[in-house]
Amino acid sequence: VIAPSDPALWHRLQFAFTATYHYLFPQLTMGLAPLIVWWKWRALRTGNAAYDAAARFWIRIFGLTFAVGVVTGIPLEFQFGTNWAAFSRTAGGVIGQTLAMEGMFAFFLESALIGTLVFGESRLGRRAQFAVSLGVCVGSWLSAYFIIVTNAFMQHPVGFDVAADGSLNLSDFGAYLLNPWAWVELAHNQAAALVTGAFAVAAVGALYRLKAVHGGPARIFLSSGTGLGLAASVLVAFPTGDLQAKLVARHQEVTLAAMEGRFRSGPMAEITFIGQPNVAERRLDNPIRLPGALSFLAYGTFHGNVRGLAAFPEDTWPTNIELLYYAFHVMAGLGTLFIALMALAAVEQWRGRLPHNRALLWALLLAFPFPFIANTAGWLAAELGRQPWLIYGLYRTSEGISDVVSAGNALFTLIGFCGLYLVVGLLYLWLVGREVAHGPGHAAAGEMAVAE
Amino acid sequence: VTTAWYAILAAMFVVFAATEGRNFGAGALHLLVARTRAERRMVVRAIGPLWSWHEVWLIAAGGVLFLAFPKVLATALSGYYLAVFLLLWCLVLRGIALEVGGHVDDPLWQTFWDAVLAASSLLLALLFGAAFGNVVRGVPLGADGKMFLPFFTDFRATGRVGILDWYTVSVAVFTLSVLGAHGATHLARATTGPVEERSTRIARQLWMVVLILLPIVSWETGIVRPGFFEAVLHRSVAWLGAAALVLGLAAVLIGLSSGKASLASAGSSAVIAGLLGGAATAMFPELLHSTVAAAHSITATSGASGSYGLGAALVWWPVAAGLSVTYAWLMARRYPRRVLGEGDDY
Repeated sequence: VIAPSDPALWHRLQFAFTATYHYLFPQLTMGLAPLIVWWKWRALRTGNAAYDAAARFWIRIFGLTFAVGVVTGIPLEFQFGTNWAAFSRTAGGVIGQTLAMEGMFAFFLESALIGTLVFGESRLGRRAQFAVSLGVCVGSWLSAYFIIVTNAFMQHPVGFDVAADGSLNLSDFGAYLLNPWAWVELAHNQAAALVTGAFAVAAVGALYRLKAVHGGPARIFLSSGTGLGLAASVLVAFPTGDLQAKLVARHQEVTLAAMEGRFRSGPMAEITFIGQPNVAERRLDNPIRLPGALSFLAYGTFHGNVRGLAAFPEDTWPTNIELLYYAFHVMAGLGTLFIALMALAAVEQWRGRLPHNRALLWALLLAFPFPFIANTAGWLAAELGRQPWLIYGLYRTSEGISDVVSAGNALFTLIGFCGLYLVVGLLYLWLVGREVAHGPGHAAAGEMAVAE
Repeated sequence: VTTAWYAILAAMFVVFAATEGRNFGAGALHLLVARTRAERRMVVRAIGPLWSWHEVWLIAAGGVLFLAFPKVLATALSGYYLAVFLLLWCLVLRGIALEVGGHVDDPLWQTFWDAVLAASSLLLALLFGAAFGNVVRGVPLGADGKMFLPFFTDFRATGRVGILDWYTVSVAVFTLSVLGAHGATHLARATTGPVEERSTRIARQLWMVVLILLPIVSWETGIVRPGFFEAVLHRSVAWLGAAALVLGLAAVLIGLSSGKASLASAGSSAVIAGLLGGAATAMFPELLHSTVAAAHSITATSGASGSYGLGAALVWWPVAAGLSVTYAWLMARRYPRRVLGEGDDY
């Protein structure tokens, strides 16, 4: 039932929207950063200026993406207090730790270096350029680690105790930072970010090759993009995705059932490729399934009993089973296609035929939006799968909102974010499109003086 | 331990106000001190490639507030819901203006973003000033430890107060004059030519405004927050703040009149450190002072998170702060102290 005057709806939508929108940008910067480090390293070792040009081109796009990531990230931290005050009071003693560490260890590092990385090429030698690019890369990945430890606590709380007033306090810093859920989630998420970066680089390489422009950089983009693309696409599925699914099967059994649209329990549980969950009738419509696969993937044996939703009390079911089911299937389906596409591209690249295979170049060009969709779907699956809990098994989402903020106030700011982020998004697409159209070798207006 | 975290939090806000507050002031004066496109790019370059590092002090201070005093973060941010988002949206717009303003070599494009930068910086200086005024005045905290403030009520500074009243508006205007003076003093040191001349002149004028407003706002503070100046008298750390304020003002006036721009710039930062540090010392241990009943105030003890977490964070925080300053120093020394007409953007 949709209740528009229920503030919880707008608080949840606002956080979902601002977090989802924000994460479109960091996934690209985290995916590009290691490639930029790699090219700077090759430039340092070989002295080949083509690697400098490749790095310079992507650093310009990195800089724009990073800036939008920063400005859309600032509101997220503060929304814990504005929209989720009750949750912040309860859990701040634990998750405040990693949010503060992110600022202190990751943001200071990135923000000190980013200006010099983007605009300071003339001020640095090759060695210092490499060091600065490495610093920015480390900063962006550290940031991911701290955020994922925070999220992992909400998925699988460890290292805390409960005070007399019901608030949570840290009791074991090591256990909190080394949460086993966090390591698997981090590996899975970072591999997925690399997929986004690799697909973007390969797509621009394919574009230039199809238009027969910027031959040197296009070659570098295609070889780096397909190489990393294949490795990362495989890593997302195995071992990281597989481990993540096993953790969900072990600690969030009801979530696994909802992700697969499974209502009945039993061994030889099947994987569903296509089908529409019908929660009212407790069944999946028009299913196409592979029997036994889910039991095997979750528990390593076809006889593993994967319990269905019916085996759990309804008040522990995820609150939006339909969307959770689709989010999971979109992620898994796209992830499988990524492996196939990149395997084909990498083989062709290795045989030296990729630059002449126009069909495959077109496929690589058109594929670049899909990793963004898959990453978003993956996070939707993680966050919808956690419901109805804010901290799994401990604290319900409905308990966490700011009770002093009315639905009208929350909707007002949500509308404001929609407008502001629409403008920011259009601006970003236009500026990046401009860089791609100009291509490597061109220095944007502000940097003319540097390039000379 | 909670005292240490109160001090760390105050120190982080001081660094934020001295560094990024300087950029707010410079941004707000942007269209006044720079008349041509080239001059305006010079101001943006004088704000510098480290502006996002300056802004991270706010984000990191928010993180530290969350870590050490989660009840304060939750109560204050939800209670000031709309004002917080107004502030956040201004930060978003200003960040975009700084990042993309120089990206396209087109007069209309740059004029637009220069105007966005000036407007958002001006509004940010006022908003942070009003926020500081609210912290000093206190908030309408009830017995349940919660509150929700309208933008204004009857403009009186007692009881069921709103965000804006005669006192917080005074502090907002005072803050704008201090940050404007601070920004102009920085531009006088970091720019050349006509921009330097105009900045020096505006800095002198604005510091005179500060000297006039300072006793008035102090007198108002004594009325709105009884006990404030008694606390200053009885706490030796607050004397340090007062000394920094007086010596800083002297350094600014001497520096500006004798052309010693670096002295003026250092003095200007000392003024801000003195004002904020002194006020934080005077208000200790209260973080959120209740205007309804003193017993409802949230203090460094009653608002703190568990002692184990606070102790653990006390180990890593100094390491991270040291690293942070090192990175910024390593980068800053690659840039000239004065920006010239030509050169790379920023």
